[in-house]
Amino acid sequence: MIWVSWRQHRSQAITGLALLCALAVYGLVLGLQMRTSFSNNNLATCLAHSQGVSCPNAVGAFDNSFGSLVNIGFWSVLLLLPGLIGAAVGAPLIARELELGTWRLAWSQTVPRSRWLVVKLAVAAAGLTVLGAAMTLVITWYRAPMDRLTGHFVHNAYDYEGFVFTAYILFAFGLAVLAGALLRRSIPALLAALVPWVAVRIVVEFVLRPHFMAPLTFRQTCPHGCGGGGGNNIVNVPPSTGHIGNLLIKTLNNTGTTQVTSYQPASRYWAFQSIEAGIFVALTLIVLGATVWLVHRRAA
Amino acid sequence: MTHDDTGGSVPALRTTGLGKRYGRLWGLRDCSLSIPPGAIVGLVGSNGAGKTTLLEMIIGLRTPTDGQIEVLGHTAHANTAESLARVGYVAQDHPLYPDFSVADMFHLGQAMNPNWDMALARSRVEALDIVLERKIKTLSGGQRAQVSLAMALAKRAPLLVLDEPVASLDPVARLEFMREVMAQVAGGDLTVIIASHVVSELERFCDWLVVLTHGHVQLVGPVDGLLEEHQMLTVPRATPDADLPGIIIHRDDSDRHSSVLLRTSPATPAAQAHQGWHTETVSVEELVMAYLLRPIKAANSSNSARGAQPSGPITKVMSR
Amino acid sequence: MFRFRLDGSSGVPPYLQIVHQVRQSLLLGYLQEGDRLPTVKDVAGDLAINPNTVVKAYRQLEHEGLAGGRPGQGTFITAASVPALRGAQGALRESLEQWLREADAAGLNDEAVTALIAVVRQDVKKEKVS
Repeated sequence: MIWVSWRQHRSQAITGLALLCALAVYGLVLGLQMRTSFSNNNLATCLAHSQGVSCPNAVGAFDNSFGSLVNIGFWSVLLLLPGLIGAAVGAPLIARELELGTWRLAWSQTVPRSRWLVVKLAVAAAGLTVLGAAMTLVITWYRAPMDRLTGHFVHNAYDYEGFVFTAYILFAFGLAVLAGALLRRSIPALLAALVPWVAVRIVVEFVLRPHFMAPLTFRQTCPHGCGGGGGNNIVNVPPSTGHIGNLLIKTLNNTGTTQVTSYQPASRYWAFQSIEAGIFVALTLIVLGATVWLVHRRAA
Repeated sequence: MTHDDTGGSVPALRTTGLGKRYGRLWGLRDCSLSIPPGAIVGLVGSNGAGKTTLLEMIIGLRTPTDGQIEVLGHTAHANTAESLARVGYVAQDHPLYPDFSVADMFHLGQAMNPNWDMALARSRVEALDIVLERKIKTLSGGQRAQVSLAMALAKRAPLLVLDEPVASLDPVARLEFMREVMAQVAGGDLTVIIASHVVSELERFCDWLVVLTHGHVQLVGPVDGLLEEHQMLTVPRATPDADLPGIIIHRDDSDRHSSVLLRTSPATPAAQAHQGWHTETVSVEELVMAYLLRPIKAANSSNSARGAQPSGPITKVMSR
Repeated sequence: MFRFRLDGSSGVPPYLQIVHQVRQSLLLGYLQEGDRLPTVKDVAGDLAINPNTVVKAYRQLEHEGLAGGRPGQGTFITAASVPALRGAQGALRESLEQWLREADAAGLNDEAVTALIAVVRQDVKKEKVS
């Protein structure tokens, strides 16, 4: 049954591998460019000593060269990427069998349909996990220079570097499998799955994530005016939260020379990743469990 | 209504009061059959008559609401490995995975069936010059049907269910498919159920019949026995129904005469003694069509001597 | 191997068609004493018919003394069959040919002939019973 699941997803696996390779090539090229620019501008030393305050031109130059490519590109259409990957694998899993009528073949062999489904889900999920982890590693490596300026708690890094990227893929996968079982058509299932996926992502990212743990506050006095608590995907120097790598939640008070912000410390990064990944994995398991129950009941 | 012609051996298939309800509608009700091993059963019924429901329950794809199924004496429980192992199945349109090769399909069969006979599967397709490495989507309809059949046979199940197996095939492919099935039955302990709309070909393939209409079994039994029990009577128009020695299945009235399909039993007296009466045997095709055309009321009161109002003449030549 | 034909639309039951073809081949000399008839599986697989039909046909042939089964070896044409067949049917055939010529001359077409035969046959059967 494992062979059967693998064989049915073989072409998807090849596509995933191709995607990974394309990403790796792109990441390698851009990553090397960034590293070169980084060392040419001596940004490492500057950041270590003053968190970028003493080399605003170098920071600005680096940002100009790579900022939009590395930051904005990630904080836009690519956010859908894990959703599309998961849904593309999940939607046809059951729906295609129903569309083609091959369920009559698959479910009349000497394997009860729930076992058939559980093995298929496990194999597909395992493959997606490996793909997600590999993509995460590639992106983490490639973005590393920029991360030294923005920290990786900011949205467009956090969403790709760590556990959550894989968890997003798995959740989309689960939703699409369920949608496929309900709608019985692959393409509608794929689209239908993305809607709740986006909704949950938005709620978790913007409503829940800032408060996974109680935020801390940071007060700073800046004789020459405090740095903006601006958007989290642009380099923010001097950091309004005290250190690069913290996550700015909110500017509580800004009088021009003093500024109070609430933030999450960088040290909590992995805890947050675990919590968020845990949420999505739990949701995935619920959705997949519902699917297995639904398919089992169809025999009734 | 049922015949137990098993001669003492365990029936290949037995259903007792089998029924299936979808919501408030009964798709199949009160179905009791006993089919002996080695029979080739023709299952006939219009769409919506309950054929698919019955087949799905036999195969193990669906759980009955009422009654039970036994295959070779073993009670069947839907969706369990033990029950699924006992029935081989070729679904209508012969579903296979288009991107798989024939060898891949057989590998799937082997992975999913403990009793898989790979040698049988391979020899079936080699005998037909189907290359194992070819992808399913490159095969013709007839070749796909043969691959589906090979898979069902290689499962080595005692009961084989074919759902309209040749409906989508060209004449040559049809012949080759049925040749294969018949040869396999001759060779071993296989019992086959063929659901078919091609009434004209039932006689050639089947030695048992099951006719379903409106979710009920109207006729079941061995072909020879059923033909012996039915006669086509030509009588004067004025002859009342009550005078006819048997259950009226179908009556066509002309100006001066009536044609009546009668079901007799050993107890009913011979019909020949009347002036102007003429009896003939009935063909399988006429018999099946008559039962298919019976309206519900008459079908459900089959024990009464009063017959159904005819819904139209039965013609000997039936188009599909 | 002796190959049978099947006419699915002739109205004649398949097993009878097989029996007829054996009889006919015997009369024409295409089947001879000692010839082995094809196995049930071969006939069923060749004609695409129910194997039980073939079994029934072979049993009928045994009943008529035209063929006999040898366990483990198959079904064979028996020695006495041909002359007996020829003898019994020869005279009948001649009188039938004569009758058909007369019916043709009287203007009966095929269907009229068949209908007439059916009616008379029934009457004769009734005679036998009563």
